[in-house]
Amino acid sequence: MSETKIYTVSQVNTLIKIVLEESLPSRLTVKGEISDWKHHSSGHCYFYLKDETAIMPCVMWASKFRTIKFEPEDGMAVFAAGHIDVYIAGGKYQLYVDKLDPAGVGALQLAFDQMVRKLQSEGLFDEAHKKALPPYPMRIGIVTSESGAAVHDITDSIRSRWPCAKLFLYPVPVQGEGAAEKIAAALRDINRRNRKLRLDVLIVGRGGGSLEDLWAFNEEVLARAIFDSKIPIISAVGHEVDTTIADLVADARASTPTKAGVVAVPDMQEVLSQLAAMQRNLSNQTNARLQLAQQDLQIILAGMLFRNPLTLVQNARQRLDELAVDLAQVTRKRLSEAQRKISARYEQIVQIEPHRLLGRKTVELNDWRNRTDKVMRTILNNCRMQLTAKENRLTALNPKSVLHRGYSITTDKKTGLLVRAAQNVQIGDDLLTELAGENFIESLVTKK
Amino acid sequence: MAGQKPKNEIGKLSFEEAIKELTDIVDKIEQGEIALQDSLQQYEKGMALIKHCRTILKQAEERIEKISQPEAKSQDSSESEAEN
Repeated sequence: MSETKIYTVSQVNTLIKIVLEESLPSRLTVKGEISDWKHHSSGHCYFYLKDETAIMPCVMWASKFRTIKFEPEDGMAVFAAGHIDVYIAGGKYQLYVDKLDPAGVGALQLAFDQMVRKLQSEGLFDEAHKKALPPYPMRIGIVTSESGAAVHDITDSIRSRWPCAKLFLYPVPVQGEGAAEKIAAALRDINRRNRKLRLDVLIVGRGGGSLEDLWAFNEEVLARAIFDSKIPIISAVGHEVDTTIADLVADARASTPTKAGVVAVPDMQEVLSQLAAMQRNLSNQTNARLQLAQQDLQIILAGMLFRNPLTLVQNARQRLDELAVDLAQVTRKRLSEAQRKISARYEQIVQIEPHRLLGRKTVELNDWRNRTDKVMRTILNNCRMQLTAKENRLTALNPKSVLHRGYSITTDKKTGLLVRAAQNVQIGDDLLTELAGENFIESLVTKK
Repeated sequence: MAGQKPKNEIGKLSFEEAIKELTDIVDKIEQGEIALQDSLQQYEKGMALIKHCRTILKQAEERIEKISQPEAKSQDSSESEAEN
């Protein structure tokens, strides 16, 4: 038989473990790229580190993973520190990672960048959500550490500019484990109680420090508490160059706690100047208005009516007199004119010597009258003579005159017609005969 | 027309409110569309407001009041809830 030893699986694996423990440093740091990252529900993380040619299985227990601020992702270059151990039952080795840092940039810086991206995409930094600061805050809440320089920096800067404000301090831890949670809780507590507290604005901040010292102000829980606050919040964290997530979410930012006074409150001297200017303005404007009214009054008082109120009456009287004079004058003028006209006409009439004229004309009239009479008489006579002549002739022609010579007119008594011939009558007819002197005889036709 | 605010009501205005009323009054008088009687009234009110603002600015409080949660031990009685 051969000398070949037969090992069990467990034996080989155990040997490998021993050899590894002896050969490798008990702790090493490996640089590689994360691949196949799995975060179990148990909290433990399983992943691979890889470089160009090889991969290494890794595990990070939940307790260690909790301390990491950033989010490991596939493809991320990291430094993983821990110890190599062999998992005998599984027949593989693993790197048990207790410390994980991003390669190239600090873990905290990476966490910061990731948180900025995350909250920005949710809109927590948007201008639209930022509240306006009250212009003249009278009740100011300060959330910071009770010890430390920040609280004095803040209160001194406020007091020097705006001493009339009442200051309220809510002491909180500003670094270390759980600080962010406590600050967030303070902000929510103040908001809840603000109906009684009546704070106009809050200042949240701390003095300068490293990224780690300031880390509480980059935590999500505090960012959300600042965002949710109904009271405007000014963040005053660290030095000029530090920008924290709290600074980005807050309604306003003071680059240092000392600057908080400048941001939060106005300058009392300036406001007093403004008040003085307003007072001057008020006086001037009111004076101007008064002047205007006085000018109006002066103009009225200077008017004739006020200087001599009787003026109106006097003027009227004078006018009346003038008009009376005019009236008299005009009337006299008319009168004399009329008189003149009458005189002129009288002269004209006298010129004509009307009585003489009258006498002459009367004589003429009589003449004419006489002549007319004469002519009239002559004409009358002529007519009379003519009339008589005619009358004679007519008388001579009277048919009834022939009756005196023995002639008669015979008419039918019944018809009244003249009987000129024997045929006109019948035997038995009654006849009427007119003789001279209007005598009549009736007869009967007995024979023709 | 313009508010017949009694003097004690002016005393209740906040600084911000007082400044706003003051600005309104100065504007109104400046525009001139105001009767003489009113402008005198408004002048008085304006002066009262300015006095009130100056009074507010002059007050100064040295104390800083603590307002931590009632469970924490704070020097001031948090029961009063900082009402002053």
